[in-house]
Amino acid sequence: MDYLRNFFVNLARSWTAWIGGFLPDWGVNLVNYLVVGIILVLMPVIATLTLTWMERKVIGRIQNRIGPNRVGPWGIFQAFADAVKMLIKEDIVPSGADKPVFNLAPILIAGAAALLWAVVPFGRGMIGQNLNIGALYVVAVGSITTIAVIMAGWSSNNKFALLGAFRVVAQLLSYEIPMVLSIATVVLVTGTMRMGDIVERQVAPFIVVLPVAFITYLLAAAAETGRAPFDLLEADSEIVAGYFVEYSGLKFGWFYIAEYGNLFAIAAITTTLFLGGWRGPFVSVAPALGPFYFVIKSVAVIFVLMWIRGTWPRFRIDQMLAFAWKVLVPASLANLLWSAIVLQIGRQPEQLGPTIVQMILLLVGNVAILAVTGLLLGRAARRYAAQHGWAGA
Amino acid sequence: MTAETIATAQATAAASHPYNEVVPGAVLEATKTGLVVSPDRIVELARYLRDEQGYDYCSMVTSIDWPQYFEVVYYLYGAATPKDALVLRVRLTDKANPVMPSLTSVWRGADFQEREVYDLMGVRFEGHPNLRRILLWEGFEGHPLRKDYKEPYFEEESKPFKSRHPDGAHQWAEDRVPWKDNVSYPVGWDPDLWRSPEVQYRRIMGVDEATGNGDGLRTERILVNMGPQHPSTHGVFRMVIAVEGENVVGLEPEMGYLHRCHEKIGERNTYIMNIAFTDRLDYVSSMSNNLGYVLAVEKLMGLQVPERAEYIRVIMAELTRIISHLIAVGFLFNDLGAYFTPALYGMRERELILDLFEAAAGSRMMCNYMRFGGVMADLPAGWVERARNLVWNRLPKVMEDFENLLSGNEIFQSRTHGVGVLTAAEAINYSMSGPMLRASGVPYDVRRAEPYSIYDRFEFDVCSRPEGDVWARFRVRMDEIYQSLRILKQALDGLPEGPIMPPGKKQYQVRVPAGEAYARIEGPKGELGFFVVSDGKPNPYRYHVRAPTFINLTSLEKMTLGHKIADAVVILGAVDIVLGEVDR
Amino acid sequence: MLSQYAFIGIFAVIAFALPVIGLVLSWLIRPKKSNPAKTTTYECGMETIGDTWVQFKAQYYLYALIFVVFDVEAIFVFPWAVAYNKLGLYALVEMALFIAILLGGLLYAWRKKALEWH
Repeated sequence: MDYLRNFFVNLARSWTAWIGGFLPDWGVNLVNYLVVGIILVLMPVIATLTLTWMERKVIGRIQNRIGPNRVGPWGIFQAFADAVKMLIKEDIVPSGADKPVFNLAPILIAGAAALLWAVVPFGRGMIGQNLNIGALYVVAVGSITTIAVIMAGWSSNNKFALLGAFRVVAQLLSYEIPMVLSIATVVLVTGTMRMGDIVERQVAPFIVVLPVAFITYLLAAAAETGRAPFDLLEADSEIVAGYFVEYSGLKFGWFYIAEYGNLFAIAAITTTLFLGGWRGPFVSVAPALGPFYFVIKSVAVIFVLMWIRGTWPRFRIDQMLAFAWKVLVPASLANLLWSAIVLQIGRQPEQLGPTIVQMILLLVGNVAILAVTGLLLGRAARRYAAQHGWAGA
Repeated sequence: MTAETIATAQATAAASHPYNEVVPGAVLEATKTGLVVSPDRIVELARYLRDEQGYDYCSMVTSIDWPQYFEVVYYLYGAATPKDALVLRVRLTDKANPVMPSLTSVWRGADFQEREVYDLMGVRFEGHPNLRRILLWEGFEGHPLRKDYKEPYFEEESKPFKSRHPDGAHQWAEDRVPWKDNVSYPVGWDPDLWRSPEVQYRRIMGVDEATGNGDGLRTERILVNMGPQHPSTHGVFRMVIAVEGENVVGLEPEMGYLHRCHEKIGERNTYIMNIAFTDRLDYVSSMSNNLGYVLAVEKLMGLQVPERAEYIRVIMAELTRIISHLIAVGFLFNDLGAYFTPALYGMRERELILDLFEAAAGSRMMCNYMRFGGVMADLPAGWVERARNLVWNRLPKVMEDFENLLSGNEIFQSRTHGVGVLTAAEAINYSMSGPMLRASGVPYDVRRAEPYSIYDRFEFDVCSRPEGDVWARFRVRMDEIYQSLRILKQALDGLPEGPIMPPGKKQYQVRVPAGEAYARIEGPKGELGFFVVSDGKPNPYRYHVRAPTFINLTSLEKMTLGHKIADAVVILGAVDIVLGEVDR
Repeated sequence: MLSQYAFIGIFAVIAFALPVIGLVLSWLIRPKKSNPAKTTTYECGMETIGDTWVQFKAQYYLYALIFVVFDVEAIFVFPWAVAYNKLGLYALVEMALFIAILLGGLLYAWRKKALEWH
């Protein structure tokens, strides 16, 4: 029973002890790294296989449909059928394409999607590597996607892909700033960039302490991964599929896997930063519950994103960029400053995580920022409407 | 009676016509079916009619190939202040080279219609800004609506009874492969050498002007084909757009991928065969198409429609309007990127209405329900109760859901306000019709302006919005659904018992007296007109459809320029085109 | 410390190897029947008109410039945020000034309409 309480960590310990019996220290490390690496690298693939099914079911229900129900019970093998199809599909490279770049882009984007998982804490002590710059690593690795996407869009020699690529750069650049700032706010409040420690120091989930940072991060992350309503880079009704319109077969598949891998990854990071990660009832008694809490929270975030996709129309590029620069950036800067001010109140040099008073003050400030933002937005909208003579906007 | 004698039948002394005092020599003859106008003075007369007489709305342009001359017909109305039709007819006696001045400088709405006349009838319009083929491709030889045109596959004079069974045995027309039979290309045309004609897009490419973004950086435009195989062009419609960055700087609509020369086939079908054929025009609203066509032929035949049939027609037409608007609104959201949810919600209600159609007509989409003088079959038992349940209970609730889900959405509002604006004057000048016209602040509805069937008995409001943007078009469609429900409630309450067809024997062939009739109805997508010329034979001499969505596309370029690519798609979505009708 | 990055290194190799392995696998089993019609550029079924690789108008370059400023800022913010608790009031004033300057820049760009998408 005790073994089961912390099942995953204990399993890892037993495994290490076992291979430590016949391997030198560096060998044990290497084997462990390889095993953990392979498991984590497969996360995007696992995410794709489960989340595509989930997305189809969720959106199906939203639209009064059943969703996939033919392949396996409740259609759960639909994604596997799709995977097989992608694997055996003919690969078509357009004759005008820049072939090396064209072929490199899917590898890069899939690799980048997998790299994110190195610092995601699934449970106490269950993290690929508790890097001391974990939060910065997330941002840095996320930027590789931008490069891969513009490589794909430019090399395809296709006009839709080109338009998509140009949109991508503008969008990903713009939303990186609010994302970074909201992560920085969390880092400031916890005083660490280690993803594992951020969870440890979240006494209360930061969604109730820093709602502005949470909203900013979720929106920016949705934009970074091209989720609705920010799916302009692959807007099917406008530029068909955007940057990957010319890809087929498994190369398209890697883009697809990267998309869902990133979706799961941002949900996981949102969970880590704002929803208390693996924390939950009884987790101190049985740490093995941590991963379940973690997955449940992540899936809840994913569900919200799917819900948005099922109901909302898409932004236009200028509106989207204006939203990033004129709303999210000022709001998150204000939030960062307010957090810095609050942390000076009753500061103790050795403190880990915010105190109760600080948390309440943070929440008050966040609510105020939300209110002011909402007020200003409403006023701007009314002024804009009045300028253009629209009724009732 | 020959066509010639009809045309000259009630000719009055032309010289004394009041218009001739303003534009001397313009009106050559005043006939029962309109003014015969001299081609030399028509532009002047048209300008006078538009500016001084209030005929600001050029509703329909068509042409007839008479044995002695080509006749181009303009149907003019007043939109700002409703006026009855004024018909201008231009007779071009030089059958080898028919040329007349273009009226696009007076009514921009004549643009596509004159191109269509040029394409299908071969009348050249001098001064037309872009006189290219519109429905057929450049490699097509001949003008199919001319009476001397011989169709590939098919060389006999009239279709219905001869060709497929020449010796009593069935023979597939397709066996006579066209390109070894009688298909030919224009002189100097080689299909193998033909490439996508870059030259024709010179206009929108702006090749001559150096473009820059204001900072002195020279940038180039690219041409993008949106369509025919594009997820959001609502069929095989193609927009060639020139973009600079995300901005649309030039747009050229290309259509005709679904062209089957509906009008030529209609001229070879008998009158009754055409009813079923009109279903295929706007395949979302076949009942309305039926209604327009039978009204035109009834005008010629002078039929009296029984009361019950009139009510059934109105009920069907309004149900069709609801279907069409639900789909238009739903797919507008698709174009905005809402991933099918509103579209599928609309589709679900449409299925319920289609159930009603199926119960009454036997078919869900291709209803083929109206007949000359009435309707095909009476409503089955229980039909009215089902319709009542839908109209009183179900649809109002659905509309509430739609309003909650769609109208208040802020992304939707910010995407549609101020996008694709047409002012009232522009909308009239471009011959917009239906929700497009009313969304520009012109409360013009054929049901009010020139009531047909029994629309004068119902109480309903003509919905219109002043903004003229995509939002207004959405709002007008939503409001019209409420008005349709209002009409439906009155019609279902007042539905009388009685016959559904005029007394007489059922017949497979109707006798239509020689003459000409134009009937227009307020279709869901705009003013749907049917122009029928009969010479007393079993099939029409000339059969023309005023396709509202085709003419509404005239303003597409005007609306789109200066907006983003994303907006171009939305603007097109708000026009609500159906390619079966655009391409005919 | 170093072993942490050794893990990241090994992980990166695996991460980029997986798509390559997948592509090789698919290359082995997929059909290869290319023809000129298949490899044409997709543009809604039409032949593309004109060149794609032109001097295209990149409207986002102003955003890119502002982005660079803010991204560099982020690099300063992270170490500051980590060490904030130890630095005291001085850090607050310092960062407040820094962010004020940045906000001023953002406002300037805003006024200059650099944040409008032309």
